[in-house]
Amino acid sequence: MKAAPVFEAGSHRWWIIYDQDEHRVIDSNVYVMESKGQSIILDPGGFEIFPQVFAAMVEVIPPSSLKAAFVSHQDPDIASSLPLWHACNDKMEWYVPKLWEGFIRHYGALNAPLQNISDEGGEVMIGGRRLEFIPAHYLHSSANFHVYDPEAKILFSGDVGAALLPPGHDAWVDRRDNTGRAFEEHIKKAKYFHERWMPSNAAKKNWIERVSQLDIQHLCPQHGAIYSGDNVKRFLDWFDKINVGTAII
Amino acid sequence: MDIQHIMGVVDASFAARQSIEKALRDIDRRALNAMVLVKRHGNALAGYGVVAQAFRERAAILKTSASHLQESIAPLIEAYMRILQHQRFVQSFQEMLSDSPLHGKACPNLISTQSKWQTTIHEEEATARKILVQLLEAVQTLQEGVEEQEYIVTNGRIEAALAESTGAPLMRVSRDMGEAVRTVAQAIRSYRHQLESLEHESSTRL
Ligand SMILES: [Fe+2]
Ligand SMILES: [Fe+2]
Repeated sequence: MKAAPVFEAGSHRWWIIYDQDEHRVIDSNVYVMESKGQSIILDPGGFEIFPQVFAAMVEVIPPSSLKAAFVSHQDPDIASSLPLWHACNDKMEWYVPKLWEGFIRHYGALNAPLQNISDEGGEVMIGGRRLEFIPAHYLHSSANFHVYDPEAKILFSGDVGAALLPPGHDAWVDRRDNTGRAFEEHIKKAKYFHERWMPSNAAKKNWIERVSQLDIQHLCPQHGAIYSGDNVKRFLDWFDKINVGTAII
Repeated sequence: MDIQHIMGVVDASFAARQSIEKALRDIDRRALNAMVLVKRHGNALAGYGVVAQAFRERAAILKTSASHLQESIAPLIEAYMRILQHQRFVQSFQEMLSDSPLHGKACPNLISTQSKWQTTIHEEEATARKILVQLLEAVQTLQEGVEEQEYIVTNGRIEAALAESTGAPLMRVSRDMGEAVRTVAQAIRSYRHQLESLEHESSTRL
């Protein structure tokens, strides 16, 4: 895997770690936000890809800067690496949906310091920056959060926006293309994922209404590629139009 | 494998890599400054011009060898993390066996699976050691490059003394160059110590 910068303003930085070398498990993106020497890792990934995520991460931040991890929901591609991170750094605080605490500990982290996020959401301060936990329940998990950084204008959107891309894929949906063609090409690879893994049109509608109020420059999904600039609105419009989950099955 | 020791080394090597990069950028800038100064004085500083040119070329070579260093630290860290990952398996089988010694008798596969993982870990440790040796060789090359750079700085001082009459601030330029080279030498030395502490740990365990 490799790390690429998503945002940089002084000591405030975001990275994406992407393009997995192991193809027997679903390809995932991991994100890191750093501010003033403190950092947080978002959806740190599965047990099987931990060595490559860690090696790519320490190219951009020292491991001792990690103060926290955010877990959008309980899935193994997100949280099953927890015991390994915990072995490396037992001071790291884990922000997890309250509903899933007892499930997440099954990954072998009986003693890890888990901080529950209640259904309404919340926030965390990392290196003086405030990150907001935005509820995204039933997208897809029944207790599910996204993370918004109002200064960087980044929304980490978990499985929303996910696309199943082949090995060697880019970190972005082509940013230079302003015709929308690159987006059209990309979104074909996101369609099945959303139709099948997102359960509820109502949850989707509610989320789009709330997220449209935010100023978003980069929408960063846990699988696939980042939507930047105009592609953010293109994505929200596309997501609004499709039917998902119970509406089609 | 002491994971906290490895974390300490990863942190220290991150800091060392950053200061090596910064110092190399600094060397490049100083070399360029020296070239500009020489150009401004025309033929009078031709001797120093040769030194400045050599300094700049060496700086480019140093940068290339430093980037090789970068390329081989990632596989080393990945190898250590794979060992950590697989130790979890060994540990959990170990726990099952020690919770109830009967498990071993009732389920011989448990013991053989555990020892299979143990073998895998030994192999991975051997791989990590191999990468570590390569990395130390890369550090050695980088150190040799820095020594050559130090030699050029000394030559620069001699040329600067010879050209003192031109009034160009060559002594200061040479001092700056020397300073930049010393910083990079120091950062590489501390990086090397970190790696050697890992090597020491892995060889004492054998
Ligand atoms: Fe998921
Ligand atoms: Fe996922």
